[in-house]
Amino acid sequence: MASRVLLQCVRSLGRPSLRLSAANLAVRATAAPAAARRPLSFAADSRRPRWLGQSSIPSVGVLCRQYGDLPPLTLETIKDRVMYVLKLYDKINPEKLQTSSHFMKDLGLDSLDQVEIIMAMEDEFGFEIPDAEAEKLMSPGEIVQYIADKKDVYE
Amino acid sequence: MATAYLTHQQKVLRLYKKSLRHLESWCVFRDKYRFYACLMRARFDENKNEKDMVKATMMLKAGEEEFWTRQHPQPYIFPDSPGGTSYERYECYKVPEWLLDHWHPSEKAMYPDYFSKREQWKALRNQSWDKEVAQLQAETGIEGIKTEALPPARKEGNLPPLWWQFVTRPRERPT
Repeated sequence: MASRVLLQCVRSLGRPSLRLSAANLAVRATAAPAAARRPLSFAADSRRPRWLGQSSIPSVGVLCRQYGDLPPLTLETIKDRVMYVLKLYDKINPEKLQTSSHFMKDLGLDSLDQVEIIMAMEDEFGFEIPDAEAEKLMSPGEIVQYIADKKDVYE
Repeated sequence: MATAYLTHQQKVLRLYKKSLRHLESWCVFRDKYRFYACLMRARFDENKNEKDMVKATMMLKAGEEEFWTRQHPQPYIFPDSPGGTSYERYECYKVPEWLLDHWHPSEKAMYPDYFSKREQWKALRNQSWDKEVAQLQAETGIEGIKTEALPPARKEGNLPPLWWQFVTRPRERPT
């Protein structure tokens, strides 16, 4: 996923009209885990003809750092990603899902389902949630608060 | 969790999570993993309504043994977890907050908003320290403490015990 983001960064530098913005990266970052992992060669092949058609990269009009890190998290993006992942889960009714809905009482899920949800959150955000704290997270709002606490968002 | 022992439900859930993670390490492709994860979930689901605790504990023991024999030799560990690549990598850059008092005034002038309020926060900490210690001593029983979890503030106007350590903890990724 990181290589795909980097390819898109380089591609958009070659296109002077497209400005590299955090919003683009955030959208791609949310879309990437939901899509199936396509083999890398296929993605590179589909992009290569378009990229080679560009001339050399112009002098930087877009001032941005090119370190290899994810865009910074905000409370809204964390909440959007958590709700997106939860809506993809087939045992949850997307209309009934709210930030404060309890997994067991409101949505009628099992403790095994809650473990699966926490595992999906770990996969989404890329860090592990220990079991002792994971078994207490029973609603999307609590998950958002926990992730914001661990990642120092709006501390 | 109040006590130091795990309940049967907690042990089963931990076994489920461990087995799914190792399954993910074995089945690299996502659709294959999803298929075997559903089979694993079905195995846990068919026994979940067992009422006899002896039988349930024997099943859990058999499950743990099966997990041990079938685990992955190099499972995927998240970078920030113990055993991962980035575990405690930035620990050396996490500086305690009392060093802020040793900054040069020209450095402190770069953050005037924070340092103007810092003295008040420190005064607040000194005020509430005795009350925090008193609360902790009152709540620790004869046997001593069982968990690391801190209690919240019980009385109105008190701050939770050891709040200073929590509030001034360093960031996860110090810049």
